[in-house]
Amino acid sequence: MAGLLRRDVLGLALTAAALMLPLTAQAADPIKVGVTITQSPPGSVVQGTQVKDGLEVAAKMINDAGGVDGRKIELVIEDTQGLPEKARAAVEKLITRDKVVAITGEHQSSAALAGIEVAHRYKIPYINTNAWSDAIREKGYPEVFNPGNYNSRVGAAAAQTMKELGAKRVLSFAENTDYGIGLAKAIGESLKKIAPGIEYKYETLDRASKDFLPAILPLRANPPDAIINLMLPPAAYIMMNQVYEQGVAPSAKTWLYDGSGLADYPDFWQNVKEAGKGMLVFGLYHPKMAQPPLGKQVGEAYTAKTKNEPNRLLFQAADSLFLIADAIKRAKSTEPEALIKALGETKYTGTRGEITFSKDKGFAFNQWLDVPYVTFQLTQVNQKVGDSALVSQPGQPLDASKLWKPAK
Amino acid sequence: MSGIDVDLAVNGLITGLFYALMAIGLSLIFGILKIVNFAHGEFYMVGAYAYTLIALALGVPVWVALPLAFVVGAALGWLTERTLMRPLYAGYTSWGLMRDEYAVIVTFGLSLFLINLVDKVIGPYAYRGPPLVETSRIVLGPVLISGHRLLAAGIAIAVIAITAALIKWSFWGQQIRAVSQNRLGASLAGIDTAKASAIVFMLSGGLAAFAGALLSPVINASPDVGVFPAIKSYIIVVLGGMGSVPGAIIASLALGVIESFGAVYLSYQYRDAFGLILLMLFLLFRPQGLFGEKGREV
Repeated sequence: MAGLLRRDVLGLALTAAALMLPLTAQAADPIKVGVTITQSPPGSVVQGTQVKDGLEVAAKMINDAGGVDGRKIELVIEDTQGLPEKARAAVEKLITRDKVVAITGEHQSSAALAGIEVAHRYKIPYINTNAWSDAIREKGYPEVFNPGNYNSRVGAAAAQTMKELGAKRVLSFAENTDYGIGLAKAIGESLKKIAPGIEYKYETLDRASKDFLPAILPLRANPPDAIINLMLPPAAYIMMNQVYEQGVAPSAKTWLYDGSGLADYPDFWQNVKEAGKGMLVFGLYHPKMAQPPLGKQVGEAYTAKTKNEPNRLLFQAADSLFLIADAIKRAKSTEPEALIKALGETKYTGTRGEITFSKDKGFAFNQWLDVPYVTFQLTQVNQKVGDSALVSQPGQPLDASKLWKPAK
Repeated sequence: MSGIDVDLAVNGLITGLFYALMAIGLSLIFGILKIVNFAHGEFYMVGAYAYTLIALALGVPVWVALPLAFVVGAALGWLTERTLMRPLYAGYTSWGLMRDEYAVIVTFGLSLFLINLVDKVIGPYAYRGPPLVETSRIVLGPVLISGHRLLAAGIAIAVIAITAALIKWSFWGQQIRAVSQNRLGASLAGIDTAKASAIVFMLSGGLAAFAGALLSPVINASPDVGVFPAIKSYIIVVLGGMGSVPGAIIASLALGVIESFGAVYLSYQYRDAFGLILLMLFLLFRPQGLFGEKGREV
């Protein structure tokens, strides 16, 4: 009897162990997070690289700390080339074939606008890392969360800066994308509210073009008080060089204001040199900004990994992944419905501050409204962002006494 | 003519000169092989990188780096002809028998390969080439122009003139023209048509790379920098007459000026459409282009 019992107990134990095996394996399975970024032209490969680095730094930090409830994070990366059709196909593939629990990484508005349609159809969480177009938020998709910057925020910041500079006539050079045109319009809308006396117009430039002189030459006779750049590299660099060579901006008459966050691109100074001296910058990151401890940790890990100075996209990308991990922990599940609910209730201190998502309609939907920003000015060629003149801290007015202007 | 008009005319002509440097090579290739080289823009890109990296990374003086970029482009052209193009016409003496659909696929593939190779090996970041002269602004009456752009325009005129003279009067130029007129006839006359094709590819690659090098301080080399100029070149070659070098030069200058004025007086948004509109008009009313010959094959 006793032998029989021992055999039974042993059999039961083995059966239980066998039944437990799949559960144990499942518990150890990595959590797959889909990433869509630009890794080859014509989209911005520079941005894609920075986002990828940021996500990898965050994934390593999460995994080194034991993962999420014991499961490692695995990034499944797809190249969109910044093209809407590729982005759409990439999101479809990530959801249906790779079975990812969420999508993140997108940094170009046109690609994001295509990608969110697929995520919305499958009801999979989509964390928009850096696509600024308000149209993404205005869709009102409950699956799409936006911890990054948005056009209305830049529009308001640019309009406020133009007012504080005392500009009377302002011109934006915008690239011919959802991002560029959307932002140019957002600045116009903000100027109507904040400084209705400012005369404003924007010119749309082809981001694949190499010659912007026909758009610049007419400005020589009657230059505006400020030119706002709403283009991404390399077109932005070419435009800046040509504006500078024609003596239009930066000059004693005309400010050059960058609304695209160019200054922390690693190739910025190599490509613009004198044309960048005096440029005012809308900045989402500055080493002199106050940052939560997590931001410092991510910045140090990034520098150790790449030998580069931290940049805004690094933090935005890292926050995107941290938010997904946080939502999984709180939901205790990777099921899409539970994740979306948890993301909607987010209150998480990431690399840039405490992130929550607004439920207001329009551009504010599922948006972190208080994305911190500063204004700084590059006063020397080859100047690091950290050495630039910080002329406006988050939430503070512009300190005009710190501004430098060319003699002519 | 107002100050802005002079400015626009000068800018348009200079832009046209740079278009011409690109388009001549493409036109020559079409003239002799009757194929469109879809990797032509990538020869331009390779030239821009070669000049920039030779000058910046190796510290070679710009006046040495510039001809070296031509050599790199010519070497790439030669390599392309020997390895990818020769199967196209090897063993054939008539254009009608050549496998020109093969050329479309192989040059398109080469284009994608070169873009992605540079993207992965050198990286996605843009590189601005060092200018030939540091003077950023020169005032010539109503025209304000950078020293590099002015000098580059002068060099482009010289290179175009030398190329045209070589094609017209040199021994190899005459052979190229003979092959272009009648491959079989040239072959029967004892001309090595394969060698003529190789020379044309070298010259074409060298000129495109030279254009890229000359413009690298203006265009900032990046993996896809050649795509746009290549599209312009295709338009120019059709406008000028397929295979006609003088036609390519005149069409380049005309397109540069039309785009420059059209952008200001019509619409900047449609600047790149002007060439396409011209292309459609030519295809409708003068399909042989400015200097091309009407042809019919049965």
